[in-house]
Amino acid sequence: MGNLDQHRQIVKQLLDSKAVDFTAIGKVVAEAGPSLSLAEDPGDFFCGVNRIFIRVYRVTDPGTPVENLGELAGSTGVLQG
Amino acid sequence: MRKTTQRQAEPGTWDQHDLLRRLCHALDIAKLTVDHLAANGYADTRDPFKNIRPEKIIAETAVLLLAASSAISHKEVASRIHAIAGQLVPHARSDRAKIGLCLEPSVAWDYALPHVCLSRIGYGDPVFDELLRLSLQAQSHAGRERLPHRMLEQEWAAMGWARSKHASRPDALRLARLSALHRPMDLLAGTRDDLYAFTHALMYVTDFNLNPAPLPRPRAVLLAEAEAMLAWCLDAQDYDLSGEVLLSWPMTGRTWSPAAAFAFRVLAHVEDQAGFLPTPSTRVDEAKARTGVERIQYLLATAYHTVYVMGLLCAMSLQPGFPPPAVLPVSDKKPGSAKRILEFIDADGKPTHWRDEFDQLTGPQADALAGFLLHIALRRKTASRDFGKLYDLLNVAHDLELADSPAASQAAELLERLAAYSRISANAQRLPLEDASLGTSSFVQHDAEGQQATA
Repeated sequence: MGNLDQHRQIVKQLLDSKAVDFTAIGKVVAEAGPSLSLAEDPGDFFCGVNRIFIRVYRVTDPGTPVENLGELAGSTGVLQG
Repeated sequence: MRKTTQRQAEPGTWDQHDLLRRLCHALDIAKLTVDHLAANGYADTRDPFKNIRPEKIIAETAVLLLAASSAISHKEVASRIHAIAGQLVPHARSDRAKIGLCLEPSVAWDYALPHVCLSRIGYGDPVFDELLRLSLQAQSHAGRERLPHRMLEQEWAAMGWARSKHASRPDALRLARLSALHRPMDLLAGTRDDLYAFTHALMYVTDFNLNPAPLPRPRAVLLAEAEAMLAWCLDAQDYDLSGEVLLSWPMTGRTWSPAAAFAFRVLAHVEDQAGFLPTPSTRVDEAKARTGVERIQYLLATAYHTVYVMGLLCAMSLQPGFPPPAVLPVSDKKPGSAKRILEFIDADGKPTHWRDEFDQLTGPQADALAGFLLHIALRRKTASRDFGKLYDLLNVAHDLELADSPAASQAAELLERLAAYSRISANAQRLPLEDASLGTSSFVQHDAEGQQATA
């Protein structure tokens, strides 16, 4: 599966899960949008193409530890010498 | 579980047969990985984040074979390299790769890297060479902007394609001076990406000791920083990066510091316990939830990379004169140094694999690792924002004559900056903003507006 397909799959899953509250986001944009549209912020325009309001990052969970080494040894047959 | 680590009884170097066994294990896993994943990569129906493109697997296997070729005089290594190379050739020069050369000349070296590595170990292909030549002649062949370590990768591939064992590398030093190798790393707040840039730049500059280019800074300076990074990775049980950072020693010279030698012992111990060098990606419950080929592919996909890293490390260590010491060296550190630093670490109550190995050391061996322990403690205290303890730790390090490391120096700078901030903050509370000694810069204003706009 290519990167683009993976991204589409992830986005679809997120949409299906209703995890993103687009109504609430729309409300904030409606309130702040007009003033931001007129803001003289060089190189960064609310109505231009550079503004991205929502980014979804893949965050590696730093809290996930390596599994118990003995249990790994007992359940990973193909990786054993 | 595999048999336990073999070490020589007397001071000397790590047992060669043990290094060979570990390298052969990595090559055996490489063969299975090519069998199962080189054609289509890995698509995990339950967790798309574990998906892997076939190009990544093919390229990393080719790099492992190239690095392992430095040990090809050992017949068990040679037979495995040739078997895997034969399997890998059709994937490295697939129609997909050839069409990629035609369609995207700005990433020609990316498509050609497996071909270049295979060519260097005797598996050339003049047809692919011709397509690559045409791609490199395209007007747009240099049309992609890259990070310095990726620029070094391109130079490294081009050098390898030149086929000469000692091809000159006029651009390598210039590019290395743009990379993380040429300036002090952030040893307290650096990210995995920073370490990745450092370790990979070093792989490309040294060419796994096959045709090394000059280092942009002295080896001792680079390794002083690598030692702090190594401590951080081992403490995080990030064995992928631990192995890659540890390569810094055998890729640049013959001597191993006590911390590097200790790190090798930890990795070997973990590998012996688990049967392979693991990462958090390999989950026991996820493995058990799968059966047959699906389970095999899951295990290979989640584990192969770190297995390869251990293979690279052993291949580099098998070069004559380069193996790590079998017995941890002692140094002239003050007796009891380790115990005093450990007090800061033990307060966290965090169990780690390195500690299991550390607890087996003699007093003088433990004291030789006081600097290593200091690096762990510095990173932990900084990460937890426990600056009072960081201050105390630096005082102890100074007493123990350990404060001359880059990480300790950066920690002292950090405390200086925080003290300055504290003074400024206190002044700002007493004075109106326009009277404060440090006015609001245009950068700060701009940044604040940006934050507001993107909130």
